[in-house]
Amino acid sequence: MLNIPCPFCGQRNESEFAYGGPVKPDRPQPDKVSNDQWVDYLTQVPNPLGPVEERWWHVKGCGTWLTIWRDTRTHDIVEEPGDAG
Amino acid sequence: MPYDVSIERLQLFSLFDLKGPRQGLTDWAGDVLNHLPKAPNQLSREDGVELCHTGANRWLLRAEIGMETDLEAKLRLETAPPEISIVKISDTMTFFRVTGEDAIQVMSIGCPLDLHADAFAAQAVSFTEFFNCRALVLRCRGGFDVAVEQSFADMIADYLDRATI
Ligand SMILES: [Zn+2]
Repeated sequence: MLNIPCPFCGQRNESEFAYGGPVKPDRPQPDKVSNDQWVDYLTQVPNPLGPVEERWWHVKGCGTWLTIWRDTRTHDIVEEPGDAG
Repeated sequence: MPYDVSIERLQLFSLFDLKGPRQGLTDWAGDVLNHLPKAPNQLSREDGVELCHTGANRWLLRAEIGMETDLEAKLRLETAPPEISIVKISDTMTFFRVTGEDAIQVMSIGCPLDLHADAFAAQAVSFTEFFNCRALVLRCRGGFDVAVEQSFADMIADYLDRATI
């Protein structure tokens, strides 16, 4: 079980959160990139062996969306979110 | 061995969901909202009105149901300016009062928060989970109040019954 740092609430149990998936690269203009690059953008989900940038929603808590960097090898949260908006 | 605890399903409270910048809320209804707490997940009580800071730019007002008409008049929901939102949600949440020597033990069955006094002090309040439902938890005399969305209330009552056999 992860403890996830919420910028409003502090450290909270993972079960209070909903996983929002990895942060994807910025959406390219479809007419400015090749077909392969466009298909890659649509179909490839970041899944590195190491730190991955992820979105989480404190859905059962304060309702904040936050972004963390989690190391997929250790589950350590290697970078915490900034202040709540 | 059974827990030394008593569980009471409470009558409706008057509840208002308050959103927006704190200055906007206090400018609009300062005589009711002048004690909006600043610190996250803290509550303040004044003249029978409890204000709970439950999220960024978000508070919950709780008061006895008998105060509702007066509060509605003072909060002027319908004419509130667009940068704030005040919504009456009194019938959306059901509160349970868990009190007694083992109240914290029973709470910890359903809630992942550390509810010991050094981690969850007298003025603490937070949305969290309780038996997998989103729930508001705060202290009361001799224990805790926990509120869930009203449609889950019968289920939570059943869980509490089973947990405390
Ligand atoms: Zn939070």
